[in-house]
Amino acid sequence: MSAAGALELASGRRGRPLATYGAWLAAAVALGLLPRLFSSGFALTTMSLMGVMIVFTLSYNMLLGQTGLLSFGHAVFFGLGGFFTVHMMNVVEGDGAPLPLFLFPLVGAAAGLVFGVIFGAVSTRRAGTAFAMITLGIAELVSSSALILRRFFGGEAGVTTDRTGLVHLFGVTFGPQIQVYYLIASWCFVSAAAMYALTRTPFGRICNAVRDNPERARFIGYNTQTVRFIAFSLAGLFAGVAGGLAAINFEIMNSAQLGAAQSGAVILMAYIGGVGGFVGPIIGAILVTYLQATLSDLTDVWQLYFGLLFIGMVMFAPEGVAGLLARQQPLLQARQLHRVVPFYLLALLPGLAAAAGLSMMIEMTNQLTGHAPDGPAMVFLYAPFNANAVLPWLIAVVLFLAGTWLFLRAARLASAAYDEALATARMRKSAL
Amino acid sequence: MTSPSPALELAGLRKSFGKTEIIRGVDLTVRSGERHAVIGPNGAGKSTLFHLISGRYRPSAGAIRLHGEDIAGMAPQLINRRGLSRSFQVTNIFPRLTVWENVRCATLWALGYKYSFWRNVERLADARRRTEEILAEINLLDRRRTPAGVLTYAEQRALEIGLTIAGDADILLFDEPTAGMSRIETERVVSLIRKVSEKRTLLMIEHDMGVVFDLADRISVLVYGEIIASDAPECIKANAAVQQAYLGAA
Repeated sequence: MSAAGALELASGRRGRPLATYGAWLAAAVALGLLPRLFSSGFALTTMSLMGVMIVFTLSYNMLLGQTGLLSFGHAVFFGLGGFFTVHMMNVVEGDGAPLPLFLFPLVGAAAGLVFGVIFGAVSTRRAGTAFAMITLGIAELVSSSALILRRFFGGEAGVTTDRTGLVHLFGVTFGPQIQVYYLIASWCFVSAAAMYALTRTPFGRICNAVRDNPERARFIGYNTQTVRFIAFSLAGLFAGVAGGLAAINFEIMNSAQLGAAQSGAVILMAYIGGVGGFVGPIIGAILVTYLQATLSDLTDVWQLYFGLLFIGMVMFAPEGVAGLLARQQPLLQARQLHRVVPFYLLALLPGLAAAAGLSMMIEMTNQLTGHAPDGPAMVFLYAPFNANAVLPWLIAVVLFLAGTWLFLRAARLASAAYDEALATARMRKSAL
Repeated sequence: MTSPSPALELAGLRKSFGKTEIIRGVDLTVRSGERHAVIGPNGAGKSTLFHLISGRYRPSAGAIRLHGEDIAGMAPQLINRRGLSRSFQVTNIFPRLTVWENVRCATLWALGYKYSFWRNVERLADARRRTEEILAEINLLDRRRTPAGVLTYAEQRALEIGLTIAGDADILLFDEPTAGMSRIETERVVSLIRKVSEKRTLLMIEHDMGVVFDLADRISVLVYGEIIASDAPECIKANAAVQQAYLGAA
């Protein structure tokens, strides 16, 4: 056994380029083809923003997921990266230096790294709660500076730039959104690949060790403070890239981009996607950006829904969407997935009903309070009614309560079916 | 490999927590290449002594010399890099990492990879070889893909030893490596320790007298923070003070 095992180890994970790089190849092709599938202006804008947020969330997960560092101020590096990019673009435009636009995220990277080193030197001297508190302090410090140093941060209005004013290579002006999409997609791909590669280095693995058990890491020769410092600095670098991309995308940076809300958003995206692996933050960034773009058109209390979603994920699926998907993996391999899917659907229906009931209550409350001058007449799910009538409230409450009750029962059934299917899957695997 | 100074030397070592003095002036010499056991009743300060030597605690007074160099009060990682590695009484591993990753992480510093973030860890042939060797020695090769947190107790204890020896330190400290193990598991661990401590210096805390007299070249008896005897096993057995303070009472 051990000889065969050693042989397998020696050859393992090498000599199979398709298995190793297949997923990356598929991602590159998908990034290239997506604008053909979704070519509307809204789709291009949303996908560009997704690319920015993927880089930002992955950079955050270098801290939270890989090294176990909960930072409340990651937007500082995103924002500073963006501001330095905007200023550099304006300087180069005035100067006429032949620097093409696609190099400018490097400015963000440099700014992110420099400030990562500076703030990291302070914050990473501690771990755990103390670290989290220091990052909160730094975030406040930078946010308040943004209101004081108005020449650099542009006050409330922010600083604008024109991405088309730089030198045009091969006739690419970066005027149309599609060209910006490809710029962002390329940087997103390269940054994601670099961050993934980083997890597969000695440093990356030691980050995981420090996350799991910082004390033991010291007794195998590692200074945990140095590990945290390097991780923090590199996370700052990639957050700076994301900020630079955001600056190019929006052609404006303002102090909201480095504020507490933005720092909160990245925690939300990472957590909803799942911080346990590399794919989770990507899923989270895509999902949350999509919901933000669509929900904000449907309701003006969309942030409330994010809060609920976040609480729900933390309570019921702390491994995030990626964790939920990963749990289906052994069933899929053992061809047991068909045994649980009906139960998932069974739970999904009352779950949606409960969500609709809750949402209806929220919207009616909002209609009566937030839109009081407009009167009680409103439309929910294409149905017009008055928010101050009894029947809609009754329907909403019944939907919510009955839906929740049925959902919990169905969830229990689904959970039992899952356990059973998993046991079968394990048995088949060990029989092999 | 033989150096003129002893592998480890404690001189007038003291440690107090508040007003309570746990280690009360310990002098101890561990010769290069010997297997040395520390025994003593519960609460004698054996684990505290190990925490002082390995850098987890800072001594209140006294010197700790590793190959003649004073290491008292140094950070654990600096002591580890000087060739002293320790295990823990309560299992202290990386629970979410696989068994393979656990051991490989413990090999990296000694192989010179340090904080390298420009090398692919899967391509490090020497780290892979070393990890395989260690896993074969601790008999966990076929559990290498399992997250360490879900191993059985005995397997986690074996991994604990694996982490301790992976960095190729020349002085090994084992804190009750056989605690909570069955007879058969204990025998396996003893033969493993015998093997890994060849050409190395071993200092261990152990409660199982069978293990102690089986393995140790010399034994020190710690009672209430003081070494009352430090000698060859047969002399310790015959020592009247030891019998009265410890063995006789048992």
